Amino acid sequence: MNPAPKIIGGSLLAILVLVGLLSWNPRRGADRTPGRPLLVYCAAGLKGPVAQVARDYERRTGIPVQLQYGGSGLLLSNLRVARRGDLYLAADHTYLDAGRSNGLVAEVLPLARMRAVIAVPAGNPRRIQSAADLEAAPLQLGWANVESTAVGRLSQSVLKTAGLWEAIFPRIKVFKPTVNDVANDVKLGAVDAGVVWDATLVDYPELEAVAAPELEPAEAGVAVGVLTFSEQPTEALRFARFLGARDAGLPVFSRAGFRVVAGDQWSERPEVVLYSGGVNRIAIEESLREFEAREGVSVTRVYNGCGILTAQIRSGQRPDAYFACDVSFMTTVAAHFEPPTDLSETRMVLLTQPGNPRDLRILADLAKPGLAIGVANEQQSALGALTARLLRAEGLFDAVMANVRVQTPTADLLVNQLRAGGLDAVVVYAANTRQVRDLLTVIELPQEAALAIQPYAVGRDSNNAHLMERLLEWLKSGTSRRRFEDSGFRWRAVGEAP
Amino acid sequence: MNGDLSKPGSQQTSDRVFLASFALLGGTYLLLLLAMLAADLAYTSPGHLWRALQSPEIRYAVRLSLLSCSLTALLSLWVAVPIGYLMARWPFPGKGLVDALLDIPIVLPPLVIGLSLLILFQTPPGRAVERVIPMTYAVPGVILAQFMVACAFAVRTLRATFDQISPRHEQVAMTLGCTRSQAFWRVVLPEARRGVLTAGTLAWARALGEFGPILVFSGATRMKTEVLSTTVFLELSVGNLEAAVAVSLLMVAAAIGVLLLIRSQGLAPMLGRPL
Repeated sequence: MNPAPKIIGGSLLAILVLVGLLSWNPRRGADRTPGRPLLVYCAAGLKGPVAQVARDYERRTGIPVQLQYGGSGLLLSNLRVARRGDLYLAADHTYLDAGRSNGLVAEVLPLARMRAVIAVPAGNPRRIQSAADLEAAPLQLGWANVESTAVGRLSQSVLKTAGLWEAIFPRIKVFKPTVNDVANDVKLGAVDAGVVWDATLVDYPELEAVAAPELEPAEAGVAVGVLTFSEQPTEALRFARFLGARDAGLPVFSRAGFRVVAGDQWSERPEVVLYSGGVNRIAIEESLREFEAREGVSVTRVYNGCGILTAQIRSGQRPDAYFACDVSFMTTVAAHFEPPTDLSETRMVLLTQPGNPRDLRILADLAKPGLAIGVANEQQSALGALTARLLRAEGLFDAVMANVRVQTPTADLLVNQLRAGGLDAVVVYAANTRQVRDLLTVIELPQEAALAIQPYAVGRDSNNAHLMERLLEWLKSGTSRRRFEDSGFRWRAVGEAP
Repeated sequence: MNGDLSKPGSQQTSDRVFLASFALLGGTYLLLLLAMLAADLAYTSPGHLWRALQSPEIRYAVRLSLLSCSLTALLSLWVAVPIGYLMARWPFPGKGLVDALLDIPIVLPPLVIGLSLLILFQTPPGRAVERVIPMTYAVPGVILAQFMVACAFAVRTLRATFDQISPRHEQVAMTLGCTRSQAFWRVVLPEARRGVLTAGTLAWARALGEFGPILVFSGATRMKTEVLSTTVFLELSVGNLEAAVAVSLLMVAAAIGVLLLIRSQGLAPMLGRPL
């Protein structure tokens, strides 16, 4: 009798049974949730709060969140190879910066801050009060690796600056791969003290934090980044917004000992209001539509003359962000906004009939007798106000205004009236001449006062300040920049977003 | 000295000294092992163990660990028996190179195995396989990661086993009319049963302790790819030393239980003979 069939059959049967048991999940029926799961790479040290927020999110939205834990650096190398997943939660934003420069991470949402402190056993038996106390001879210290961990690197650089590192270094008994390993060593008594994050110690009731003044500058930012290869960026961003919302994820982080950022208000589909000078519309409209689709938000645009917009703001309207036609229209409402970022600039120009029949060369030529001029209304539009400012600065206001036949609330109307033949020249933005460059003659104005700079600022009272910051990043992107340039603007913003 | 040895009394004394010194040396190791376990026990409490067992995540990890390790051990034997036999019996050119290749998983840091698997499954053939059986960050990946390492140990063990079995019995069986296959199943394999058993348990134990490749290739997703070794890592990473120790002790208990069971029952019925 050959035992072969018995052995082969028996072991095949055993394999089949094991595979069957593995694929039968007793919980599967119970917690089946609709929607595609989100794959989130999460720094292991953030496990506590993140797992809880993920559970809350699943309950509220029904979208399952799969958390993949590991050290921040390990996860970064992992997702670099695997090129799949939706979000990356790192213990320090430097990892996200690295991910960004490698083209792995798109949007980054800040969540919380942590500060380096000295961990000692409860009761502080060695009476350590400052980093200088760590130099004392019999002391044995544990330190997080200075190359691969944020806490190790930051604390080292801060102590080097303070001139303490050389004296502390000989006291370091061991370098550990993660901050929790350092805390574990102090807890076990393997070392007397170690430098960790303040948030680390919430999990260690047996340890005490000494907030050494020398370590105060060593701060890290916990943040979550959307992965560029995510196939559901809108879903990913929604969960990221949930994590960073002041009434959703952040209170959980706060209870876990993190010092959280001032987050946005949670809403499944936030609705925000953007005030924008009319001249900017062509440059930003398409980018706004893309931003809405990617973030899953609605942006209500209010395009108008900046004079009207600032009047509305002064009378109590609070847009989530304001993209002004010129910096002069930002200063009057600066109290209601965060410091602005200049995105673009455009010069005022003279636009005249084809071939320049009236031989207009400089601004002063507008004062020539018998000309029919069109300008924008000083009260209703930024262009009008800037034109008046320019003319006054050059001492030409009265002489030119004598030739003015028409004042309009927007530049488009001026261009149309010039094309219809009723006027000899109009003063408009270069950005307004894009469509008619081949049909009319453009005369550049070199004056300093002829330059309009478009600043973007986030509302101080906005419930969606971080979202509006991301809109700014979106507007700073390469694609958006090309749209500005195609619309006749010149680029001013520094640091182009990926 | 020769004269001393011939005397039965002094021979007995000498034997006792010899055995005692061996027992002392070996006992030190055993003592250290027991001391470690005792320290672990002192660091945790029945409460921690109970809480660990209550947690659905940990219960899932226990189940996945036990099932995946058993599957890995069986698959390893399926591959290791033919490789071990061929390497012991079959001369072929480049045998030395193949022998060295088979040791790669033993030599390489386990993390590298995980990374290599991760890279492999991002290549076009890897992606094609993934479309049929999801590997990266999925349960089959856990088994593959365990298998890649555990199998190397099973191969090593079985190679040594078949090397030690004299080819004579096999040849005799063949001269008596057996085919090579019949000789293998009826003569060689029953003779190798202890080696097969050792290889299987070794593979099982390696798989249970496997950590690095699983973390990199399968991730540490709770209720999905979390095995006991990942649980220990996850609990350690948030400073929950007590739970980490409790789970480690569960692993020790599971390992001792399974190893004792296999050794007492063995593969004897399957091999058709009592051990």
